[in-house]
Formats: sequence, structure tokens, C-alpha cells
Amino acid sequence: MQILPFYLLCDESGSMSGDPIEAINEALPELHHEISTNPTVADKTRFCLIGFSSSANVLQPLVDLSDIDEVPALAAGGLTSYGDAFRTLLRCIEADVAALKAEGHEVYRPVAFFLSDGIPTDDGWEQAHKELTQSRFCPKIIAFGIGDAEAATIGQVANFRAFIQQEAKVSPAQALREFASSLTRSIVRSASSIAADGGSGFSLAVDETVPGFSTVSLDKL
Amino acid sequence: MSVHDGADVPYASLKLLAKAGDGGQGEVHAVGGPGGLLYKSYREPHKLNGAALAALVSLRQALAAADRDRLDRETAWPLCRVTDGGRVTGFLMHRAPDVMTWQTSRGSSKLVELTYLLHPPKAAWQPVRQPSPAERYTLAVVLVELFQWLHAMGLVIGDVSHANVLWTLRPAPAAYLLDCDGIRLVGQRPVLDQADTPDWHDPLAPPGTVSVDSDRYKAALMIGRVLAQDAYASPGKSLKPVPGVLDDRREAAVLRLWEQAAGACGTRPDLGQWRTALAGRDTIKLIAARPAPRPAIDRSKFDGAKERGTISLRD
Repeated sequence: MQILPFYLLCDESGSMSGDPIEAINEALPELHHEISTNPTVADKTRFCLIGFSSSANVLQPLVDLSDIDEVPALAAGGLTSYGDAFRTLLRCIEADVAALKAEGHEVYRPVAFFLSDGIPTDDGWEQAHKELTQSRFCPKIIAFGIGDAEAATIGQVANFRAFIQQEAKVSPAQALREFASSLTRSIVRSASSIAADGGSGFSLAVDETVPGFSTVSLDKL
Repeated sequence: MSVHDGADVPYASLKLLAKAGDGGQGEVHAVGGPGGLLYKSYREPHKLNGAALAALVSLRQALAAADRDRLDRETAWPLCRVTDGGRVTGFLMHRAPDVMTWQTSRGSSKLVELTYLLHPPKAAWQPVRQPSPAERYTLAVVLVELFQWLHAMGLVIGDVSHANVLWTLRPAPAAYLLDCDGIRLVGQRPVLDQADTPDWHDPLAPPGTVSVDSDRYKAALMIGRVLAQDAYASPGKSLKPVPGVLDDRREAAVLRLWEQAAGACGTRPDLGQWRTALAGRDTIKLIAARPAPRPAIDRSKFDGAKERGTISLRD
């Protein structure tokens, strides 16, 4: 089977407390529901949830979403260590790709949705980011910034697409609901273009525009 | 009323309600008024072959009442086109029968797509009742009969997939075909260029083309996958029907056709053959009448050395 792994890296620092973290926690069952009730999509995708604050935690190891019926909730508190998030993601991807291959699957380049509401509080996160993006299984990174996140930093994190919340128009919680819908759509639409035997490849279907967000150009250095 | 006579309906006269679906080609909205109709609007109406859509509408209108009822019972056929300022923007169709929907644990309603027949059941879609082996067999027969009927009308179905065939066991096993604007009359251009669904394409058909023969290949995929509860079975690989679905005679006949379906275009079993195989009937090989024997040829008349004389022109 041809598998497309998705990773959600979600900021759960102290500033996410209240509505934002609740918005994500409420959106996760919706994402699970959409994918687990669609066997064609569930078969070809896997999902992993990583929460990061002062450090990063793998809350849900990579899984077929139709095989689980609960997932650890995100809990706000602590600082915003991008570096630990990227190191954890890299570690997961390397182990997961090997495990999927050992099960006889073929694996597409993983896709990582990164979400943060602030600026990184750790030094050296760029080095961790570089190690991630230069690794053998470097994921396609789609980065979303809300609240205090800076467009330049979010643009630097992403290598595929980047979005920043339109603060004047929507609240962080509203933006996060749109973010979750966009993530769900990406998984469903991307999986729908994958043939079980790999066939002629697939197209990663990530929204070009997301309501409540402005698209950040990745061309500017 | 245009749903009854098939005449075009102006977009402005529609009262659109909630969005019921979203696909690659367009969106589907519920329409206010009697009949619980749906409106499918195309994302790129300028790419539309309006005449092909009109031909599908006319085909339904030309059917005898009993056949039209069957078409409406078993397919979401285009009832009439919708136009806006002279441009075709979409069409109206019936909603899938309620018995072909299921309620998820979160209270939303989803269609009972073919996919739920092709995968081992999971907790997330537990409300979709799985068929007994006998019901699974009947569903395969129902699907074969529907496809055979459409082919007999001179239609090419085009895209067959885990998402555009619905099924139910209530009150009896039945099937329902969606996305019927992808269907065309044999030899005609389709309403829209139709991309094949991954895992459902005919590897031997030229890319982007569909024909009665590619339909036969896809029908084989559908039948085999339903019988085996295997979303990825394909001719050329071995087929393992779910125990109890087929008796020995039927299984032998089905496996023969399954093998045959892997063959070149033009050699795939037609729907009638599948129907016979599923009915458990043996087939009798018929020997075509022999051509009349050719008369013996006297080769000496053709192959002998010629003796060419001369013709005197003076006399």
C-alpha cells in the first residue's frame, strides 16, 4: 500500500490557553471523524500529533485514524520551543518511515502542518529546522501563524506553503477552526489522488488560500 | 415543469438551499420545492459540452414510463439542464434514496458508498450494516444487471469508483449510480473530460479515454472487489471471494472471467457473461457454422507454362 503520512505540530505554549487550544481540541474529533469514516482515505494516510511548548511531545504516534477512538488533548502551558518541535518531528519521521516500509508499504514524502501563535523562544531553532529540511525524508511543511506569530518566521519554517492570520478579521479560535478544516481537506483530497500501488504518483492538495489567513510568499528570502 | 419535460431551467428560478456535496468538478446544492431535488453546478461551465448533457436528458425523456422509473430508481440521472444567460451551468437530479445514507456517531448523514463493501468493517462506520454472504452475492448481481441495462441502452459509464456507486440492504439489496453526467452515448463526447479514479483505471486503455471495453474492465474490478471484500483486487492478481458468497460452480465461473478481464481490450467479459457466471449456469461452447468448402482449384490452369503463339496481323 502507498502511504502518505501527515504530522500536525501544534503550539501548546501558555499563550494558546483558553479559546485557541479549545478550538483545536474541538476540531480534532471532526478531523478524525471525516477520515475514519472514509476507508479509502484512512487506508492511504497516517496521522501523528505532536504538541510543543517548552519541549515537544508526541501526543499521538503515527496511526491509521480509523484504528483509534481517543487522542490526548492539547494542554496550554510553557514556552515556544520550535527547535524541539523540529527535532521531535525528524525523529518521528525517520522511525515511522522505516516502520511503514518494514510493514511492506511504500511511503510518500511526509506532510507536516505546523501551527504556532508566537515567536520561537529558543535559540538555535534554525539549526534544528535546517537538519529537518536537509534530512533524507524532509517533509513538505505547511506553516500557519496566528496571534503573535510573525509572517517572516512562519515563511521561514514553511517549505511548501505558509499562512498568517488576518488579525483584524477573525479571532485566533476562528482561524484555528479554518486551519483544521484546511488540514482535513488536504488529507482527504490528497489521499483521493493516491493509487494503492503508487500508480502515477499523487498531487498534494493543500489549499492555496485559507479563510481568515493571508498567504505568505515563500519566494522572499 | 421542466423536471418532467426535460426543458432547460433558468438558474434564477432555483431556490438553492444547503450545500450537499463538493467534488472536483463542481458543487451540489439542495433545491427548495417539491421532489427533494439537487442542483449540480460546474466549477468550469465554459468547458462543458452542453449538447452531451442535453442528450442524456433526452435519453431519459424518450424512455417508456417503466424504464424511466427504473432509471430514476437506480441512478441520479440528469433530469434537466440549468442555464444562466444562455450558458449551461449544471443540472438537476434526484437525491439518493434515504436508505442509501447512514448517520455517523456525530449525527451527520453520509452516503453508503461502495467503499463500505470493499473494506473490513471499522468502528467509525459501524452503523453501516454489513451484508451477509447471500446479500453480498445479490448486490453483485444487482450491480451487474444495472450495468448490463445501461450498456444495452448504448451508454458508456466511464468512471466507476468506490464513491459513485451506492448500495443498501433495506428493504432488499439494491444499488444506485451517482455522477451520471460522466455517462455518455457510445461514440459521443462526454459532458466534461473525466479523470479516472485512482485504483479504478483500465491499465490497457489509452489515458483519458473510456469505452464499453474499459467499462467492462471496471465492471470486473467492481464485481471482483465486492465478492472478495477487497478494495484493491484487480484482474491478473488472484481473487479470493468471501467464504459463502459463491458456490463452487459460480466461483469457478467467476474466476475464469476474472482471469479473462486481465486480457487485451476487446477480450474482456461483457456483463452478460458475468450474469451467467453469477447465475451458476454452465456455458455451452457453440461452434460457428463452417464455411462452405472451397471448390478444388485446377492449379494447372494458373501455374502451367504459357505457350504464347503469334497473331498474324497481315492476312
